[in-house]
Amino acid sequence: MTRRKNGVLVKALILAPYLILLYLLQSTVFTHLQLWGTKPLLLPVAAAGIAFFCGRVEGGVFGLLAGMMMDLACNQLTVQFTLLMTFLGILIGLLSDTVLVQGFPSYLLGCALELVLTSAYQVLSMWVLNGAPIALSAAVGLKQTLYSLIFSLPLYYLSRFYFRVTGSGR
Amino acid sequence: MKDLISKKVLRIGAAAVLVSVLAAVTVALSGGNAGFAAMLSEPFFKPLKSALTSLVGSLEHVYDYLYRFDELEAENAALKKRVAQLEQDYREYTEISEENGRLRSLLGFVERHEEMTLEPATVISWTASNFSSSFTASKGSDAGIALYDPVVDEYGNLVGQVTSVSAASCVVSTVIDTTLSLGAQMYENGEAGVAGGDFALMKEGNLKLSYISDTASLVIGNTVITSGSGGVYPAGLVIGAVSGIAVGSSGLDPYAIVEPAADIDALTHIYVITDFAVSE
Repeated sequence: MTRRKNGVLVKALILAPYLILLYLLQSTVFTHLQLWGTKPLLLPVAAAGIAFFCGRVEGGVFGLLAGMMMDLACNQLTVQFTLLMTFLGILIGLLSDTVLVQGFPSYLLGCALELVLTSAYQVLSMWVLNGAPIALSAAVGLKQTLYSLIFSLPLYYLSRFYFRVTGSGR
Repeated sequence: MKDLISKKVLRIGAAAVLVSVLAAVTVALSGGNAGFAAMLSEPFFKPLKSALTSLVGSLEHVYDYLYRFDELEAENAALKKRVAQLEQDYREYTEISEENGRLRSLLGFVERHEEMTLEPATVISWTASNFSSSFTASKGSDAGIALYDPVVDEYGNLVGQVTSVSAASCVVSTVIDTTLSLGAQMYENGEAGVAGGDFALMKEGNLKLSYISDTASLVIGNTVITSGSGGVYPAGLVIGAVSGIAVGSSGLDPYAIVEPAADIDALTHIYVITDFAVSE
């Protein structure tokens, strides 16, 4: 087996249980951790973290998988989060590759961007498909974003750990 | 300075040992009825004298006590085991008792609705989304559950509808979810309307009864039930009670705010209606 294949295997062996753990936490524990009547989103933050540290390729792949998990956790029949989080993974990875400097503030910015765009998408969907009042939906989206950002701190260390162990991306 | 502190420490240590020995001896001699505090309340010399004389005269008793300690330790271990067993029995009893209560409630519902076939299931997980209200239940098409099957709690109150089903599980959208809408009517006066989720009300745990006639009499506390129209839901399932009356943004469309009868947040066991007699 080549070194490259070994590297991919190691990454898969780390990311698979990480994703499963995140999914289980998201769909069980975090649904009970309501604050201001809002549940936090863990998977988008984790996806932003991997994209920030590992760049657009791994960001996109992880975003795809995390998006699938997010669709499952949200009982979504459609693949809204799969598409959205893949795109956001690539976008944040691209920003990290080109514009953003490495460090916690930039990471936080990446997470905020992912969460804001995720919330914006949800708010617009609710408005277009269900006619939900946009101000109320936006308030929910804002609370969701702020609450979820709290979890960016522990996930920062996990993402950085993964990056250092695998030497991913740049 | 260090020596001084060491001596102080030693003295404090010695004093502590002495006090402990005195306390232990006192407790031992009093058969556990009087502690060190009780001894202090006595005149100083009396207990001291008593303790010293008794100490010499009762070494055998001390030996007996130490010997019994092993016995007590063994007894304590056995009792702990017994307590653990009893706690386990109690947990099982509570579980069975709760299930019995649920089944009794369900029995009442089933007796009233013999035409229905119910499939019990449990709630596995709730949606992670802040923009919907749904959960995953423990049974799917293998148990005869199909898409759009109505779901009730043990009292027969409407919980929601199966909106996606796989072999071993299904997703149930609750009555407060914005995607759900069903024919409803007031139990008291038969006024018809459409019950459905509304995002603003969903965040408060309520739903909306709209498309009601201008002349309809809406009374707070009135019961809202399924009308059975469309054949998706059986008629007569309790949706909830009117908790408020409001008017839409146009000012022309009154609607009732309905508080669900099923305790949506506390759901653990549900019953999927897999078959029922359609009466239109």
